[in-house]
Amino acid sequence: MFDARDDLTLEELLLPSQVDSAIALLSRLCGTDVKLLHEPNSKATAVEFNLEIVAWLGGDLPEQQRMAAAKLMETLLFHAGKYRLAANLHHNATEANYEQLKQQHAALQASEARYRALSESLQERVDSQIAVIRDSQQKLYESARLRAVGQLAAGMAHEINTPVGFIASNLRTAQEYLSEIEEAIKGEPSPHEVLEDFQCLLTECLDGAARITNIIKDIRAFANIDQTDYRVFDLNDLVRTSVQLVTSELQPCSPITLELAPLPKLPGHPARVGQAIYNAVNNALRALSDDGEVVVTTRLVDEMVEITISDNGHGMGEEILSRAFEPFFTTRDVGVGAGLGLSVVRDVAMDHQGQVLLTSQEGQGSRLVLLLPIARASI
Amino acid sequence: MSKISLKVVYYGPAMSGKTTNLLQLHGQLNPQRKGEVMIMETRDDRTLFFDMLPIGFKREQEIDLRIKLYTVPGQVEHDSTRKAVLSRADGIIFVADSQLSQQENNAISFENLADNLLKVGLDIEKIPLTIQFNKRDLGRIVSEETLEGRWLNTPWWPLTLSSALKGQGTAETFEQLLQRLYPAVDREHALSSRHGITQKTFLEHLTQSSDY
Repeated sequence: MFDARDDLTLEELLLPSQVDSAIALLSRLCGTDVKLLHEPNSKATAVEFNLEIVAWLGGDLPEQQRMAAAKLMETLLFHAGKYRLAANLHHNATEANYEQLKQQHAALQASEARYRALSESLQERVDSQIAVIRDSQQKLYESARLRAVGQLAAGMAHEINTPVGFIASNLRTAQEYLSEIEEAIKGEPSPHEVLEDFQCLLTECLDGAARITNIIKDIRAFANIDQTDYRVFDLNDLVRTSVQLVTSELQPCSPITLELAPLPKLPGHPARVGQAIYNAVNNALRALSDDGEVVVTTRLVDEMVEITISDNGHGMGEEILSRAFEPFFTTRDVGVGAGLGLSVVRDVAMDHQGQVLLTSQEGQGSRLVLLLPIARASI
Repeated sequence: MSKISLKVVYYGPAMSGKTTNLLQLHGQLNPQRKGEVMIMETRDDRTLFFDMLPIGFKREQEIDLRIKLYTVPGQVEHDSTRKAVLSRADGIIFVADSQLSQQENNAISFENLADNLLKVGLDIEKIPLTIQFNKRDLGRIVSEETLEGRWLNTPWWPLTLSSALKGQGTAETFEQLLQRLYPAVDREHALSSRHGITQKTFLEHLTQSSDY
């Protein structure tokens, strides 16, 4: 690439016309015809460029004169050669630079293409990772529900313990009483008071048993292990159960007021609707300050059942409101909320061909309206 | 007839005295054949493309050996010209500037030489190379002890010292390069076995006039 030949031929040094005019001038100077030859003869003198013979100058003239003519020709060639060599070198160096630039350019393009490909596949990989994360979040949420059921079961056990406790204790007392009765019957004919008390104990026991039954029913309604269960259900019952579960998890004295109008039964997935109500009420409770209130109302509007959950909590700004139904959007601290609560409400409403409306004003509170059709349109 | 054409390149930082070396050689050397010095410099004494001096010797019907001595422009920006001149070099004379202030430039230029040799397919460890520290006549120059400490354990020791402007050391530098160049040329062209040219005659023909 850098090869610059420095042994130039006569043709490379001068143009034929330049050679001709030089020879014509030399001939005139010498007073006789001289010419440049390719082969030496007895009347010719070597003409050199860079120690290389490029031609012979021949002519019928004295040797001294011929040598002077040859020397003059050499001087001419020397200066022509100087220019030619510099030009060749410059040309080569420029070519080499250009070549190098082209290579750098190609390398740059190749690397740019590599990065572009990488960034494209990166986007794909990020997208698929996001899908995986969403999926696992969803599963996590499901498992959180199961955990909630577990907690519920723990609470249930606690609740059951008390009635079971006094049932056992009362039964022990009853046993003692019974033995006392036996003692007394031996002597006195009518053990009136003891029998009466015995009657009360039994009533209490029955009452305790009834409470246990009810609690278990509540739990089963909420946990509703058969998720796919599609049936006709009483929405007011579901609201009561859900609210009870939320509050039992939170405070001892409930800030929730229920205003439930008589409703017809409606078809759907009670477990899912229960979950939606639970989520909405839970959200409302979390927005409350100390003396806040939540009002849950149900009523019939045309062919729809309307459940309204309103609170006088901190409310939401425009931006948060516009994103409230987005999956994974949460204003709670990392790890506290999955950001799925309201998105589940919306999903449930859509599953039941219903609607969900959310209005809120910062500092004033929020109001969530869930509308569910009484008769489900055939699909 | 064997025709041998060799290229020796004077390399080094800007204004270290490469062209001066060439001009002194032209005046001092008396080889069997000697051409004109081709000087291409700008008005401020800086070499633009290269300088060139052809010398050589010839034995009728047997051998025609020529060496072209080139200089490169030392300015950093002329790197592509340096590479072009360096291509196909047979030997290098590195002309360093002895002034203390120029040591950094010497080092940069020497690294540049190694890089460019590599780019044109040559190896600085293998090519015949002589290092000359020029401008010994100036004050505030790097001492000979320092040079020895720095270069003793390199393949290029001993260095040559010169004051090219005063004509001192330039011919010796060239002779040292010829001594280092001869084995390579002998290997390739069988100078001694085929032509009976020993290192001594090689040197004589290229530095002093002879009867051939």
